[in-house]
Amino acid sequence: MSDPITETARRIAAAGESVRTPARDPVNRPMINNWVEAMGDANPVYTDPDRAARSVHNGLVAPPAMAQVWTMRGLHGQRAADDPLGVMTKVLEDAGFTSVVATNCEQTYHRYLLHGEQVTVSARLENVVGPKNTALGEGYFVTTSNTWYVGDEPVAEMLFRVLKFRPSRRPEEPASPTTAESGTSSEPVIRPVIGKDTAYFWEGTSIGELRIQRCGGCGLMRHPPGPMCPECGATNPKFLVSHGLGEVYSYVVHHHPPMPGKALPYVVALVELDEGPRMLGELTGIAPEEVHIGLPVEVAFVRVDDELTMPTWRPRTEGSGR
Amino acid sequence: MPATLLASEVEIGSALPELAIEVTPTFVVSTAIATRDFQDVHHDRDSAVAGGSKDIFLNILTTTGLVQRFVTAWAGPDALVRGVAIRLGVPCHAYDTLTFTGRVSERITEGGEDRFVVEVVGACGAGEHVTGTVRIALPGKLPGEVAP
Amino acid sequence: MTGSLSGAAAIAGIGATEFSKDSGRSELQLAAESVRAALADAGLDPSDVDGMVTFTMDANSEIAVARELGVPALSFFSRINFGGGAACATVQQAAMAIATGMAEVVVCYRAFNERSGQRFGRVQTAAARQPTSTGLDNGWHYPMGLATPAATVAMFARRYMHEYGATTEDFGRVAVTMRRHAASNPNAWFYQRPITLEEHQASRWIAEPLHLLDCCQESDGGVAIVVTSAERARDLPHPPAVIAAAAQGSGPDQFVMNSYYRDDLTGLPEMGVVARQLWRQAGVGPQDVRLGILYDHFTPFVLVQLEELGFCERGQAREFVADGTIGLDGRLPLNPHGGQLGEAYIHGMNGIAEAVRQIRGSAVNQLEDTEHVVVTAGTGVPTSGLVLARS
Repeated sequence: MSDPITETARRIAAAGESVRTPARDPVNRPMINNWVEAMGDANPVYTDPDRAARSVHNGLVAPPAMAQVWTMRGLHGQRAADDPLGVMTKVLEDAGFTSVVATNCEQTYHRYLLHGEQVTVSARLENVVGPKNTALGEGYFVTTSNTWYVGDEPVAEMLFRVLKFRPSRRPEEPASPTTAESGTSSEPVIRPVIGKDTAYFWEGTSIGELRIQRCGGCGLMRHPPGPMCPECGATNPKFLVSHGLGEVYSYVVHHHPPMPGKALPYVVALVELDEGPRMLGELTGIAPEEVHIGLPVEVAFVRVDDELTMPTWRPRTEGSGR
Repeated sequence: MPATLLASEVEIGSALPELAIEVTPTFVVSTAIATRDFQDVHHDRDSAVAGGSKDIFLNILTTTGLVQRFVTAWAGPDALVRGVAIRLGVPCHAYDTLTFTGRVSERITEGGEDRFVVEVVGACGAGEHVTGTVRIALPGKLPGEVAP
Repeated sequence: MTGSLSGAAAIAGIGATEFSKDSGRSELQLAAESVRAALADAGLDPSDVDGMVTFTMDANSEIAVARELGVPALSFFSRINFGGGAACATVQQAAMAIATGMAEVVVCYRAFNERSGQRFGRVQTAAARQPTSTGLDNGWHYPMGLATPAATVAMFARRYMHEYGATTEDFGRVAVTMRRHAASNPNAWFYQRPITLEEHQASRWIAEPLHLLDCCQESDGGVAIVVTSAERARDLPHPPAVIAAAAQGSGPDQFVMNSYYRDDLTGLPEMGVVARQLWRQAGVGPQDVRLGILYDHFTPFVLVQLEELGFCERGQAREFVADGTIGLDGRLPLNPHGGQLGEAYIHGMNGIAEAVRQIRGSAVNQLEDTEHVVVTAGTGVPTSGLVLARS
């Protein structure tokens, strides 16, 4: 079953990367000067030829954060017909999700740009997630990615996320849509509360890492984590990335009552990691009656949505290791 | 601008010098135009108010640029900015003050390069305008220096 | 030794509503009715009350109950955290207040529509959303699918079976015994409804290895306990149940129902903390006690409590219960009222009331040797316990 929004999103995402659009101008000194002047950025590698020549760059370079500036459409610019954000925006606006707020922007710079380089940019739709009840109103999170090229060399990338929503409040009310989202009641799954002391774990699962807290003072590994080491008192927690391998220490086959987002019965396992600490998660890929204490398992990550990726367990396959 | 920090000089957990920016209408407009963002909410107060905002406000490309400026002003001209990842909170309107604070959160190896992750928060009157991280690479020695 | 609590205070009154699946009235009314009944039992008036203690989880504030009763002034009020682990600690708080002169008559109460209202056995999605340390703790368990009390105990039970060779039949013997006791208690929900071990084994899985009949019932009702000084209690209508010992306990790396990260997953160290204090304060040991009121929300933890309290060696509880030891005719009868598996689930407070009746000699399944009765509170959570005595 699929709604028109999801269907369109799937179609656009499947179309992949758009045709590359060229920047109006090559990377140039006057635009850099305007930019650093407005920003108040005093870094001499952008404007002082002598100092730049003595720097790691051996000459003037463009500010990395200007990557997107080169390809902005400008005062009278039109979106390309195949621009995925443009197409998706239109579909959502037609469905009544008329307001927009940007929530995330993640830029990666592969190298600094040099004067005279001609940049092109492509776009693709990563995903559309929703409908979500946010503090701003019901809406969809639309994530796109851009890649900037010089010739065929990718020089910078950006992940950009907006919330297209149907306003339910005065737009002036300060409410962060992404944090409010985790507090809604109509969600199909139970979400963890994420705090300062635990965010690293969930940031890890979102990129496929199972992170174990390790004390920055004495090295004690600990899960669940906390802000102060019970061994040495240090408040300097770090983490290591687990190999994701362990054994079932105990387990439950849950039959009743029904659990939001899960089909009955399901298995929850307490896994003792090879690194030592124990960690709890759903165990899939095995019949409940075949589960036993000591079963070798490996971690698998289940992406719930843009905001949450759950660590789960499955029987270890031959030669698995991370 | 101070000299570039060396990787060996950076301590995990150390704080960056605070940076406070008076967000005047001129600042909002000039940065929007310098980033080639001509959306009216960044230069036309009447349009911004009609759309439900209390005034014109900073555009995202400027927020990204200011986060970069904040970190390189501390790290120095030879620091290499490898990434800026931000999460946007409340809008930063004209006449507000945007104050950046930051700390070095960890040292990582990424792409075969030794890098530092700097956590940044930019707060204005209504709350956090931006939170995020900047990944930078610092030289082990200054250019032109001979390794001991 | 200064400030000994032992013998300073006593339970002078007990009161309860009927135990049902749908009380048809508010939780506050249940609280007020049970407190009024307990005061009447103690031969005291609401105006004698100057202290109140309840569970953090209770929905009825001390002042709301005081208003309904017409209690004119309170000089002491307190709440205890961690679900059913609070039960005996309410009496401990009352006794401490009395021993230190903070109050003279303290009422402990717990009242809820746990069956017709918010059922604990359901998935508590809100519990995983609290912006507190507890909410963060729950974030390591609820979203992974471990979100009911039965499932949290099942995780422990599986490991206990693995370590000690216990079986679900061993758990079943506890359930069968409790239901047999309830069968002759007219106040019990399962009055005249005993079960067999075969029925236990045939009951449906809730969270394997726990069957339905390993889980206590869900109930509506209220229980109140009146505590005053032992001296004053001796002048009141009923023989006092003297508080010979009262203790709380929390163990290493303690969580609420999810203490899965300790070295060992076969004990209840928080109950061990309670047990050591109880025996020291009361000046008796497990060998001197012939009656236990042990918290029985889930059968496996009854076995573990026998071990933590020192009635048997670690891992030996299944042998201890195998031959009728915990029945009414056994060496250590447990829960003659039928416990929470048989009588009602009032978060352990109905067990304290049963201990008082046994000491008074007024219980329906009255036992002979009730000089000392040990009572425990919720298991798997930071908990508490009491030793009540005839003198």
